[in-house]
Amino acid sequence: MPEVFIDGKSYEFEGQPKLLQFIMDEGLELPFFCYHPSMSIPANCRQCMVKVGQPVKDRDTGEYELDENGERVIRWFPKLQTACNFDVTDGLVVKTQESDELVERAQKDNLEFILINHPLDCPICDQAGECPLQIQTYKYGPEGSRFEVKKVHKPKRVQLGPRVILDAERCINCTRCTRFADEISKSYQLTITKRGDKNYPTTAPGETFDDPYSLNTVDLCPVGALTSADFRFRARVWEMNQTPSIDVSNGKGCNIDIWTRDNQVLRITPRHNPHVNDYWMPDVGREIYPLFNDNRISRPSVILDGENQIKSSWNNAIETFGEQMEAIKPEEILAIGSAHASVEENYLFAKFGNLLGISTPLFTPHIEPGSGDGFLITDDQAPNTNGVRLLGFEETDSKQLKTAVKSSNAKMILLLSDHLIDRGVLSADDLSGKYLVMFATNESETTKKADLLFPITCVVEHAASYVNVDGRIQRSFPAKETKYTNRRLDLEMTEGRLDRYGTKFDNWVTDENKVDCLPVWDLMALIGGRLGLDITYEGGSREVIKEVSQNMPAFSGVTYERMDDELGIELDTEHQTVKS
Amino acid sequence: MAADWRSFKPVLIPDIPNLDDIDVYIKNGGYEALKKVLSDDWTTKSVIEEVKAANIRGRGGAGFNAGLKWSFMPEPDGGPRYLACNGDESEPGTFKDRMLFEYNPHLFIEGSLIAAYAMQCSTIYVYIRGEYIDWIKMMDSALNQAYEKGFIGENILGSGFSVNFYTHPGAGAYICGEETSMLESLEGKRGYPRVKPPFPAQKGLWGRPTTINNIETLANVPLVINNGADWFKNIGAENHPGPILYGISGHVNQPGVYELPSGVPVLDLIDEVAGGVKNGKKLKAVIPGGSSTPVLRADQLDGVSMDSNSLREAGSMLGTAGLVVIDEDTDMIDLLWRIAHFYHHESCGQCTPCRDGTGWLEKILLKIKNGEGEVKDLDLLLDLTTQMEGRTICALADAAAWPVRHTINRFRDEFEARCKKSVHAIA
Ligand SMILES: Cc1cc2nc3c(=O)[nH]c(=O)nc-3n(C[C@H](O)[C@H](O)[C@H](O)COP(=O)(O)O)c2cc1C
Ligand code: SF4
Ligand code: SF4
Ligand code: FES
Repeated sequence: MPEVFIDGKSYEFEGQPKLLQFIMDEGLELPFFCYHPSMSIPANCRQCMVKVGQPVKDRDTGEYELDENGERVIRWFPKLQTACNFDVTDGLVVKTQESDELVERAQKDNLEFILINHPLDCPICDQAGECPLQIQTYKYGPEGSRFEVKKVHKPKRVQLGPRVILDAERCINCTRCTRFADEISKSYQLTITKRGDKNYPTTAPGETFDDPYSLNTVDLCPVGALTSADFRFRARVWEMNQTPSIDVSNGKGCNIDIWTRDNQVLRITPRHNPHVNDYWMPDVGREIYPLFNDNRISRPSVILDGENQIKSSWNNAIETFGEQMEAIKPEEILAIGSAHASVEENYLFAKFGNLLGISTPLFTPHIEPGSGDGFLITDDQAPNTNGVRLLGFEETDSKQLKTAVKSSNAKMILLLSDHLIDRGVLSADDLSGKYLVMFATNESETTKKADLLFPITCVVEHAASYVNVDGRIQRSFPAKETKYTNRRLDLEMTEGRLDRYGTKFDNWVTDENKVDCLPVWDLMALIGGRLGLDITYEGGSREVIKEVSQNMPAFSGVTYERMDDELGIELDTEHQTVKS
Repeated sequence: MAADWRSFKPVLIPDIPNLDDIDVYIKNGGYEALKKVLSDDWTTKSVIEEVKAANIRGRGGAGFNAGLKWSFMPEPDGGPRYLACNGDESEPGTFKDRMLFEYNPHLFIEGSLIAAYAMQCSTIYVYIRGEYIDWIKMMDSALNQAYEKGFIGENILGSGFSVNFYTHPGAGAYICGEETSMLESLEGKRGYPRVKPPFPAQKGLWGRPTTINNIETLANVPLVINNGADWFKNIGAENHPGPILYGISGHVNQPGVYELPSGVPVLDLIDEVAGGVKNGKKLKAVIPGGSSTPVLRADQLDGVSMDSNSLREAGSMLGTAGLVVIDEDTDMIDLLWRIAHFYHHESCGQCTPCRDGTGWLEKILLKIKNGEGEVKDLDLLLDLTTQMEGRTICALADAAAWPVRHTINRFRDEFEARCKKSVHAIA
């Protein structure tokens, strides 16, 4: 196999890698700014300088020429080269900052240049703490500066678009943002204007950067030049917990990170998954985060005297539910599942009904034709339509659902997490005279109608799986605590820098903002207990998915471990499912 | 050794009135070279070989053998191929190509057509700096004439070879003279030089094989075809043969463009050709080939002639053969600051060392110019030139660094005299 020598060590390679990517793939390091693996390579930041040489071959024999010590004779390139756009070839010899003083010096020199016109306002900059410029300056930059003249001044607080704000003085002109708009989102809304050290990115006059993917440029920007209009000045990175998850705003299931502080989600950023969303996500997927914080249903509610919904204790709510169930025949109960809820939740919902003799749940997909863009925004407004299909739920359109709900056979309706009135599938009248039991996360017009309302955990509070439009099953992790969970005890939960390095008595640790809700698996155990059913899962959703994979052929072999290792699993969506 | 330069008769811009009129041009043997190469006696390969043998070294500044450059074009594959003619001419001290546009446009057009034929290009663009509004018009009317006579267009002179030829105005950016930046500009994009490889011969305009040549380079081509490579090689200096349009500016009595063989002694150009230093002043220095080439002190000029070897030995470069003559009253700090200002203003801003380095150089020089500099600033300047040189995408950073380094090194006393006494001088 061909080999390349980096700082005196030999590495084998396949194909035609670029040197910088190869170095990173080998776990080595080079400072860089402009390179991004999913975009074109402009080699403009000039940070990734290395020294490279080719072994000299004898013209006639094709053999490597050797010096008096038997070492290969190397012809060094006369200039240092940027590694990002340099092709790795057989026998190439590379010296990085680790083994060559000139390279180390060149990288330092380059950082000195970048910093002279940079405002160095890290203490008030959102990027601080996750800033490639800050990090690489600490590692490879000069100590102090020889710059004693005036910095260039450029526009600040420029509203490039509704969601993105530019501070042109912080910009290091890497063109990642403009390349994103040209090559990835293809909105062509950004360009660099002016020349030389007056350069900065902007839109055409009168245009606004309203690209539906605009916030990706904030992630891409290696400095704090582009910030999110919503998130800026809200939190320091090190104050937040970062938890992997799945975007539930549509059917694509973009892989994301959820950033929380004090049990509030403060921002959502994309997480790399080459099979789904690469490095990107649509802005709408980020904008839904208030759903996880606000307007949450906390504690169960019951309707008294057919009028007012009032909060109730869990015991009372479960007892009420038990009494109602005992008074009714299973045939008189209609169960409605939800593409907005996870596989585990829907499965348990169906299993519970099945044990009581209630027929298989119906569900109505939440699809808005024409709203997708063929990229990461789908017509499907729900994250788990395929999951519910594969569980064998009976798929109905709005009309069929309406008929079923209004049928005189249906006296009680069990509704899982689908705001059917809000999305216009049902009207409030359709439900009159029915006893509505709803399991939901957020208040809505629909939940107002519930005779009995159980608050359940939302995607950021539990581990659960969702099957996206392409049939890929992926899962979330609990990112924020509920009243009944504790970050330090729950091994599924991540720890932020403060959890790890702070103490319990530091004043940033708070018990606020914990919602009084239960995951469906815990709730079902309680309700089941009241009705004499044994539906307990000691291992929580992890155990539920194990059971799903054993009982449902479409999910065979699915485990959390595999989803984590393989960044989700492609399911055989064609597979005929067995009705549970 | 070639004949004395004094007996040379101009061939690029011969002394013939109204040569820009195509009929006059034809009457004086114009377009014969084109007819020749399109005849059965010549092949595309033999044209390239002849031009290569003549060793026409690029007149755009880098001095690359034109025929050799043409030979880098890949075999035709049926798709479009381009010749892009570089008439951006924006380096301070350089103003020769516009003489061709004005006085002998057809020589350049004919040379371009021969080049396009040799490389089997389907389209020729001539990129002309935007400020040359009148010269763009001149070129347009010359092209129209050539179209009318059937020298450009479909099936030229019944040979089966077809090519189109367009002018394209620049928009005031020096960087668009850098060849790959020019390609971006031609494509309607921002003038950012491209990273190489791939080279234009592989991936040029719209990703297709493209060759870029300077206007004067191409104007030499018909001369080579008509008179042969040997004739051309015998003009002027052996290492850089042929006629040269010397642009002489600065403190001389008769500034202008003069056509002479390469290799004319620098002092002869100043004293005999350009009528000597103005107002009887003494010569202080010369920038021999456009503002990016290192300045030479008057005492470095003995025996130095305008060819690449001689100038390299003297510590400079031929560049575009645009000489800037500097008299004894000139403030070198002022001059250098002005040059640094130019490169700062013209850096495209893509690469870090150039974008931020050019500005830093200018600002320090301004400080020194205003009497606020210190000696350590001179060393900082020298350091910065090393930090910039050879570390960027195009050669503009080098072009900005060289004058600073060499002017300081060659006039160090003058710079130091302007500096404040360092407060840290003696502990
Ligand atoms: C910053 C910069 C500016 C340049 N400007 C010009 C120019 O105005 N005209 C030109 O012919 N060449 C210019 N060049 C050189 C071109 O890149 C290129 O080498 C030349 O056009 C090739 O033609 P030649 O081989 O016939 O000389 C410039 C180069 C650089 C780096
Ligand atoms: S705004 Fe950020 S991403 Fe865009 S060019 Fe500047 S530094 Fe790069
Ligand atoms: S060296 Fe200067 S002009 Fe050339 S590409 Fe880089 S920044 Fe632009
Ligand atoms: S990463 Fe920017 S030049 Fe290589």
